[in-house]
Amino acid sequence: MALQDYRSTMLGCTRCSYCKWIPFAQVKSWRFAKGCPSVDYKNFHTYSAGGRLNAALSLLEGRSGLTDKLQEIVFQCQLCGNCDVTCKVCRYDMEPLETLRELRFKLVEDGQVIPQHRSAINSLIKQDNMVMKSRTTRGNWAEGLKVKNLNKESAEIVFHAGCQFSYDEKLRETARTALTLLINSGVDVGILGQEEHCCGGRAYNMGYNKEFIESARSNIQAWTKAGVKQVITSCSDCYHTFKRLYPAEIGADFEILHTVEFIDRLIKTDKLKLTNNIPMTVTYHDPCHLGRQGEPYTPWSGTTKKVFGQLTKHEPPKPRYNGARGIYDAPRNILKAIPGLHLVEMERIKESAWCCGAGGGVREAYPDFSLWTAGERIEEAESTGAEALITACPWCEKNFLDAINEKNHKIKVFDIVELVQQAI
Amino acid sequence: MALSNEAYRALEDITGDENISAEPVILDSYAWMHANEVQTPDRSGFARRPEAVLLPGSAEEVQAIVKVCNRYRIKCKAFSTGWVGTALASTEGVIILDLRRMNRILEIDEKNMFAVIEPYVAGAQLQAEVMKLGLNCHLIGAGAGCSPLAAATAATGNGADSIFMGSSSETLLGMEFVMPDGTILRTGSLSAGLGWFCGDGPGPSLRGLVRGKLGNMGAFGVFTKCAVKLAPWPGPEKIPVEGTVPAYYATLPDNFKAYTLVLPSWNAYADALYKIYDAEIGYIAHRQFNMLGEDLWPAFFAMYSDPTKSLDDLEDFVNKPEIQELTDEVRHYAFQLVLVGMTLRDIEYQEKVLDKILADTGGHRVAAMSEPNMEQFSALYFLRLPSKHLNYVLAGGKTQYFRPDGTPDFAIEAAPKMIEILKEQQEKGFLIKTGGDSLMSTVTGIGGGGDFHFEQFVAFDRADIESINAAKSCAQAAGQAGFFIVPSMPPALIGLSKDEFQKALARLPQPARFNWQWKIKQMLDPNDVGDSRGYMTIEETPKE
Repeated sequence: MALQDYRSTMLGCTRCSYCKWIPFAQVKSWRFAKGCPSVDYKNFHTYSAGGRLNAALSLLEGRSGLTDKLQEIVFQCQLCGNCDVTCKVCRYDMEPLETLRELRFKLVEDGQVIPQHRSAINSLIKQDNMVMKSRTTRGNWAEGLKVKNLNKESAEIVFHAGCQFSYDEKLRETARTALTLLINSGVDVGILGQEEHCCGGRAYNMGYNKEFIESARSNIQAWTKAGVKQVITSCSDCYHTFKRLYPAEIGADFEILHTVEFIDRLIKTDKLKLTNNIPMTVTYHDPCHLGRQGEPYTPWSGTTKKVFGQLTKHEPPKPRYNGARGIYDAPRNILKAIPGLHLVEMERIKESAWCCGAGGGVREAYPDFSLWTAGERIEEAESTGAEALITACPWCEKNFLDAINEKNHKIKVFDIVELVQQAI
Repeated sequence: MALSNEAYRALEDITGDENISAEPVILDSYAWMHANEVQTPDRSGFARRPEAVLLPGSAEEVQAIVKVCNRYRIKCKAFSTGWVGTALASTEGVIILDLRRMNRILEIDEKNMFAVIEPYVAGAQLQAEVMKLGLNCHLIGAGAGCSPLAAATAATGNGADSIFMGSSSETLLGMEFVMPDGTILRTGSLSAGLGWFCGDGPGPSLRGLVRGKLGNMGAFGVFTKCAVKLAPWPGPEKIPVEGTVPAYYATLPDNFKAYTLVLPSWNAYADALYKIYDAEIGYIAHRQFNMLGEDLWPAFFAMYSDPTKSLDDLEDFVNKPEIQELTDEVRHYAFQLVLVGMTLRDIEYQEKVLDKILADTGGHRVAAMSEPNMEQFSALYFLRLPSKHLNYVLAGGKTQYFRPDGTPDFAIEAAPKMIEILKEQQEKGFLIKTGGDSLMSTVTGIGGGGDFHFEQFVAFDRADIESINAAKSCAQAAGQAGFFIVPSMPPALIGLSKDEFQKALARLPQPARFNWQWKIKQMLDPNDVGDSRGYMTIEETPKE
């Protein structure tokens, strides 16, 4: 696809501004009605999805050029996908999120790159990770765990740790716990350790499609060689990349599970008992890439025709990605299964969840905006009276922790796997 | 005319450099609006760029900006939630004031039932807050995303709940606005330091500066705060929304009933509306679902309320026998009514009154629309208006022509002709074939039975030039037949010549009002700072 392939989406914007809010049916207060961090931070309409569609069309039509301002407008956005949900409340012919990604590809192709992104991409190219660490230490997170090395052995399942869990020593216990749960459940699981590559999803969202493809191919090649059928990860970014982007862009065919899905299955089949009491009130943050962007990819090929005069009909019906089928129940089922734990919901949940602020290359390039976005979510979490904010993504967790430290918030942050470990 | 550096700097000094921009890419996003393509000669969705966009944060900043505009002879146009073409610059030398930083609910007076709001409070936000206090607010027909302040002051503001809460002009109480010369005017009780509770007096009322239901259309000063009336809400503190996107629904208590009613003829339809108004029943009344067309709406809403389906399935739904039966049942003479009892006894009373009205007029409740899933969907749809962008769902483009306000008899007399015009245009093959009757309408406002009008929706493909041209042809045909786009729109929208447009204005009730309003604007806006697109005048009495 190229940017001009999204011209009908650009033309289709009516400036309704739904993209700036959560779905209006879900608005429960003045304070937490907004849905788009970018336009809420920068205020000019151009920083909303609708405004960016205008900007893309303006660029295509030569009304405005490749400027620093355009670059800032395009990249100062987490690509969280709230706009995609809200636009599609009333539209079936719009693809705002895909268009915004395509606009990034266009800018990168034309050399309009963000220096901080370029550094991360160089790290990806040279060290196979986006966090500018050495390739040689990637497997250290699993030291001491007795698990198959899929560079030498084969297994049904690969546990993919991802860049953040692999390198962040404060977060990596979550990956170790998740992997231990898998091992203890008796499944045939292994890891790639030092040879694991970044999923490539963050590069894709920064506009680097070629680099994403190379990462994806490396992982798929290694999985195939090891006889892997199923990929499990505790990182929502990786999950989305494997589940949606790999099949769409590469045609990969692996079963993809997030740890929360695996644990939920264990609980439902009585293979895992959560018995320890955790007397705590918590609230759950739906990571964008597990929630509204975590819908499964469905291949489509078919034809279009016009019915009722001008209405476009796809035959067979085209799969629709609007956030309705994201992973929302599994994490909530787990939390509800923990004795003593009390789950209270924030106002913006599931497909309407406010972003943590870390995505889309924003954490790397616009740290103030990233932390402001996280701070908004923390305030929402605190408004529920919860003692802890639970999530299922290391990027969310890290951003929340940084924002909490910056503003001295009292709320705690846990990955859901940490609570499961305490409850066993 | 580009802004001089001196003028730009003067504006920048007021807002700070982060809240002003003249970057082309930003200006283009303030030149884009639905239906622009029907008006622009090259069929572009981009209309005229403003000279700059500013994000003022207070009335004082707005005032300072307007004074600079007077000093440098710049025009300014206020823009809040902005979903109407009149929010854009219509001529050269216009700056846009995007008021989204002025977004607070300043006060909710529970006892006296009003709220004081700034321009960028959306209807859904205000409603969510006042519902916590057992109150509700009027939402204009354009839906929950629109600003109640803008609806009360700057644009026409009827809606589905007007039967109970009034139209926006009826809900407007005290207001604060920056006049075109930079003076801050406070009206009604506010002017006497007595709070916001009354929109009129003391002395002569200045409420008329907003031009009643016409609204100000951003052409005359900048409204910075206003108070709006609230209404009782005998429901839960939060609407209990269930389901997933987009098929949300709400299961409400037994004092809520959502119906689609059908009558046997246009005359019976009008009679039913009069009787409902006279009996003072109903919380929401609207001919809403029909906006998707007589042939399509039952199928569409059956499809829409199933989150696993999409427009690709619409044709299959249309062909289902039960949908065909429903489509025939509701063709032409149906509308939606939500009854809300303040008590269970009240809802029983309203149900009995409705029974009597239907018996007298030969109407009935549509059983398929009273099935729990459709009733729960309808209830949420009307109470929150969260999905009004469905206007555009069929192919992304929508324009409309009107039968202006009048009594139900006045409006229904025009319905067959309005339907015939659309059907003829649809048969040419470039518009969505909805069956001709895509008439949406209010039922009445609290102001009386003369608050009824029809809007005929024309659905077209925004990405298809021939379809856009067909939409324009349709509007032209409607205009030539005496139907109307809102009078604040320029003649180009409907393709009428200036003379034809002037004649059309003259056919509206009390045409002299346009001239008088124009004289007032000239007096109070001596430097023509307001972008006057929304201020039509009749230059000479056209001959019929």
